[in-house]
Amino acid sequence: MSIQFAYYPGCAAQQVQKEADAAARAVARELGIVLHDMPRSTCCGAVSLRETKPAFSLAVAARILSEAEESGRHLVTICNTCLQTLTQANHRFKNEPELLEKINQVIVQAGVRPYKATINVYHLLWVITDQLDPKTVKAKVVKPLNGLKVAPFYGCHNLRPAEIFDSKAGEEADHLDRLILLLGGRPVAYDGHDKCCGFHVMLSDKVEMRSMVAKNCLNAKDAGAELMITPCTLCDMSMGSFQKPAEQVAGKVIELPEMNFAQLIAVAFGLDESAAGLDRLHVSPHAVLAKQGIR
Amino acid sequence: MPVTNYTIRIQRKRKTSDGRIDSHWKEYTVKATETTTILSVLEEIKGEQDGTLTFRQSCRSAICGSCAMKIGGRTRLACKTHVGVVARDNVVEITSQANQPVLKDMAIDIGPFFERIHKITPYLAEGPETDAVTEETAYDQVNHVTQCIMCGSCYSDCTMAEVSPEFIGPAALAKAFRFVSDPREGQKTRRLKQLAEPHMMWSCARCAMCVETCPKDVKPMEAIVKLRTRGVAKGFNDGPGPKHALAFHNDIKQSGHLNEFTLMMRTVGIMGTLEELGTAFHLLKKGKVPSLFPHKSAGLAELAKIYEILEQNPLDVETKAKEVVPE
Repeated sequence: MSIQFAYYPGCAAQQVQKEADAAARAVARELGIVLHDMPRSTCCGAVSLRETKPAFSLAVAARILSEAEESGRHLVTICNTCLQTLTQANHRFKNEPELLEKINQVIVQAGVRPYKATINVYHLLWVITDQLDPKTVKAKVVKPLNGLKVAPFYGCHNLRPAEIFDSKAGEEADHLDRLILLLGGRPVAYDGHDKCCGFHVMLSDKVEMRSMVAKNCLNAKDAGAELMITPCTLCDMSMGSFQKPAEQVAGKVIELPEMNFAQLIAVAFGLDESAAGLDRLHVSPHAVLAKQGIR
Repeated sequence: MPVTNYTIRIQRKRKTSDGRIDSHWKEYTVKATETTTILSVLEEIKGEQDGTLTFRQSCRSAICGSCAMKIGGRTRLACKTHVGVVARDNVVEITSQANQPVLKDMAIDIGPFFERIHKITPYLAEGPETDAVTEETAYDQVNHVTQCIMCGSCYSDCTMAEVSPEFIGPAALAKAFRFVSDPREGQKTRRLKQLAEPHMMWSCARCAMCVETCPKDVKPMEAIVKLRTRGVAKGFNDGPGPKHALAFHNDIKQSGHLNEFTLMMRTVGIMGTLEELGTAFHLLKKGKVPSLFPHKSAGLAELAKIYEILEQNPLDVETKAKEVVPE
């Protein structure tokens, strides 16, 4: 049996965080999740479009959601900010029929199929941890993590505001912890697992952003973490690629390997480098994985 | 309701003679039911076990805001929080609010928090922008922010405040929004100009922690988003925050996708980009360079048309807050 989704990877996964996209596609294939591309979809506008052009932002979201709806599939993404942006719009469309009507009038004039607000927005991680039988996932694990201590970094935009999401969110969220357990790892509890990676202020408040990265990583490390995973391509960029610049601000060495959740699944599933993309990471996880006899 | 033993771990804090804070964790055992409030538990400890424990409290009704403290990793009002909700394996951890100077145990110096509130001039000002008529719907925007009780919870849990003592913080920005939206306010534009300065509205990291933590459902971050929208509409677009935000709608119109290659240049300018060359080179090492010509989405003419329609006939899509009914 296969589950079908309209796949919305987001801008980062198509440009700088390509490894997350490759891993997500490979892992989905292994699990019988069919991801259909959305050729008409655009950038979701993130937090920025909602601030500068609120109506345009809703119209852009309606156009994206409508493309998925027309294909008869729910939408799935691997970026927290895309998840929150599209979910926020979808939540309003489902609860404010007058708003949906107004936005539909605009997009229909532009030749877009009206959105009927019948689909849900999911994170691929939730599909794997909430919708699949845990046995299905476990059966694919050929390289169990052997108790590797993994810090889950949830990222803000799949947690808050909790009431809009189609999965357990806010303080109740535990999907990343459950995934680590499924793969044979040990989730590490630390202060920072639900805090901010600073991505959205990377350019405007760059020292503060780097301090956030350093604080979260160092807290995870102090709690015993050997590796960090996130469900978000933007958090990956901050916590992984910006770890070195963060070390300069903090004046401390961090050296905590970080990767996308899909990459760690690919590793545990024994998939090759083209799927796992480990060489594209700034802090190499090879030593940690080798120590554990995983790779 | 069954009574069980709860372990209450409290971070005891004391100022030393040289001004440092000495701290250690101390455990107390208290009999309570699931719905006993943390405030009752603390009173039980202070009254029956350890009179030296210090915390603030007054109304017991989530109105005065005195008893905000970190309970189970998040800042909450002790009077409103049930033991059963925050206990993990019958253990509850309590410490003082973060990002504020500690006086003793859970009592903090709330002064610096209020200094931030005063920065935004927390009273109506006379001026040319006072509306002559107050419409019935005028307070739709203000309702949720006026519920703020100044407990400091949002500031204590703010992820930006944690790394930036300069940041004005969520409560002050929510308060600022209350005045920017008030029809009686005469200096709306002057306020928005001030709010566009560094460490004000554009420094919020958009983590939504304040939305989750606020015990009165003020949703400070939602107010910050609306302030930014109003600031941009007034043309206060000079800093990297608004420039970055504005880059998005141009890109979506043009190619459908964000041009991450030129985004930095457009946000921080040529000098800012040169400063960031080291970082760029670091990213380049792992091939993390965006394409100069990102792939174009199909059906882009639709977006241009949507944009044109909305420019000609602007739509008000702001969320409105219902009138507040006391709990």
